[in-house]
Amino acid sequence: MSQESQSQHTFDLGATLGVLVLRLWLAVRAILSGLEKYAGTSTSSSPVTIDGAVNSYGLTEATATKIYSFANYHGVPKPLYDKVLAEPLIPEWGLKIYDQILGPALIALGIALLFGFASRFTLFAMGLLYTSLTVGLILINENSGVAWLAIHIALIALMLFQAKHNKLELTGKWKL
Amino acid sequence: METLTPSQAPGLTRRDFLFKGTLAGAGLVLGMPSILKAVDGPAAASNMINVGFIGCGKQHEVLFNAMVNIPGLRYTAVCDIMKDRVGAAYGRIRSRFGYDPKRYIDAADMLEKEKDLDAVIVSTPDFWHSPHTVMSLQAGKHVYCEKMMAQNLEGARAMVKAMDDSGKLCQIGHQRRSNPRYIYTLKELIQRHKICGRIVNANAHWNRAVSSSRDITAPARILPNKETLLKYGFGREGQNLSDEELQRRFLNWRLYRDLSGGPISDLGAHQIDIFNWFFGARPKSVIASGGCDYFKDREHFDNVMCIFDYDTADGGARAFYQVLTTTSAGGGYAESFMGTDGTIEISERSAYTKIYREPGSAPSWDPLVQQGWLKKASAYAAPADSSDAIASYASAAPEGFELPGDLNEPPHQPHLANFFAAIRGDAKLNCDAREALESEAPIYWVNPAAQRNETIIFTEEHLHT
Repeated sequence: MSQESQSQHTFDLGATLGVLVLRLWLAVRAILSGLEKYAGTSTSSSPVTIDGAVNSYGLTEATATKIYSFANYHGVPKPLYDKVLAEPLIPEWGLKIYDQILGPALIALGIALLFGFASRFTLFAMGLLYTSLTVGLILINENSGVAWLAIHIALIALMLFQAKHNKLELTGKWKL
Repeated sequence: METLTPSQAPGLTRRDFLFKGTLAGAGLVLGMPSILKAVDGPAAASNMINVGFIGCGKQHEVLFNAMVNIPGLRYTAVCDIMKDRVGAAYGRIRSRFGYDPKRYIDAADMLEKEKDLDAVIVSTPDFWHSPHTVMSLQAGKHVYCEKMMAQNLEGARAMVKAMDDSGKLCQIGHQRRSNPRYIYTLKELIQRHKICGRIVNANAHWNRAVSSSRDITAPARILPNKETLLKYGFGREGQNLSDEELQRRFLNWRLYRDLSGGPISDLGAHQIDIFNWFFGARPKSVIASGGCDYFKDREHFDNVMCIFDYDTADGGARAFYQVLTTTSAGGGYAESFMGTDGTIEISERSAYTKIYREPGSAPSWDPLVQQGWLKKASAYAAPADSSDAIASYASAAPEGFELPGDLNEPPHQPHLANFFAAIRGDAKLNCDAREALESEAPIYWVNPAAQRNETIIFTEEHLHT
């Protein structure tokens, strides 16, 4: 048996568990970030009754509930959207498309990674998605956000380097 | 394009500014009814109000976010000398409403070209409030202008005169005046049910942390250039200001005496206004103290404390106010009205609002609670007896209560809604320029009192509107 094939079949439990944890983290991070883009608050307020009558001042009691719906969808958070829109390097039509696909893309890539579908290509696509987010943040000078995304990129790169230890994949037989 | 500085606004040279303000103050406009309702212009025909923004910085964003839920408004123009802000304001409107507002750098240019504008929202630096308001009123627009009305009394008086002369509406952004929590507290709890008893003291504060008071910075590439900043009055030719210093003045105009009134007007104006509104009186005098104790390179005091003396309908009262830009401990911002039977500590933020009943002297508030005028507080309880309490020195702990309801919308929304309702003829302004100046006039004397370290006894000359 050659050294190469030996290494292919070596099972390193620590590395495998490490990659599994990393995969779970990246998948959960992407799925929930995507889902949160459909989150909103449903606030209902009712007028306060004083001395048997509805008060005339407009005092109300409110209850707020977090809900998920397609109507709440906002791919790029609104304050960021407005800032990026003002950037001459970003065309409005491009930003609109990006805004539409960002949430679904995060969910799809997260699910693909979670179940191990074409993990390496999925990771590469996820890396490109986070890089594209970084571009917008660089332009509007949000340096903390850039650093935050850089950590994601580093985790993705780490997992790609260690992809040989990735197990329990849907497409395990045909490593992609 | 005409170059405009505060002293060169249309029909308002600096000399005019002083002269006309003095005339207004001398009583030539006294007795002229303030036009509090209006139904005219394009708004009357379609009921849709065309709105333009002069000033697209942070406060513009606050106001815009409070306006988006008010129906019947169309945002037709945005104007700011900083292109980046114009772009951001344009983007906000476009992304939310799907149409394109016109973009301007110069306010006079906007007013000249946008003939269909019904109303203008002014949220520029304080030293531009008066010129922008006056030129908008003279152009036949209704105006909502942020407080402080101007960086000096003459500018504020010119706004009142322009409002009277034009017959247009001019609402000043003391938004608590339209807040149902404040109106309810004054009319029902203080005036009708008199839960405070005899109010002898008012006490308010705005405590802001150092971290929130630092200089604002931005990349130089997005800021207006030196020529633009000089053109719009952020510095004068003779001052020989560097590019960096001019840009600092642009971003941090609140720190400079010729551009703003400093923390006492910036933060204090809202709350000192509540003293005057709730007492229904103007103060007799002010004593004050302040210093550049931490931010030593700033022109305005970083901490100011002052005491106003009042003759109210119920007798004498004092109001203490402090603004701190070096610490936030002590509960953010609130105004307390302290009486013999109870204290109402009210704030724009519900979390800072507390009501206390004086034990022993006050009648029971149980009937008020049963009828729904007050709620028993759930969050704050009297401290338990402990070994560090000396019973003979300490008063018994007061009972805690709450307002029966809240304002569940942005705090500026009711005031803006009142402005637009007044344009449609459906309401009276809650704080027109004259009423605002009556309340703001004493505030202009706090810094001089602190600088001279003397008590200022107010006369008609100090306070006239």
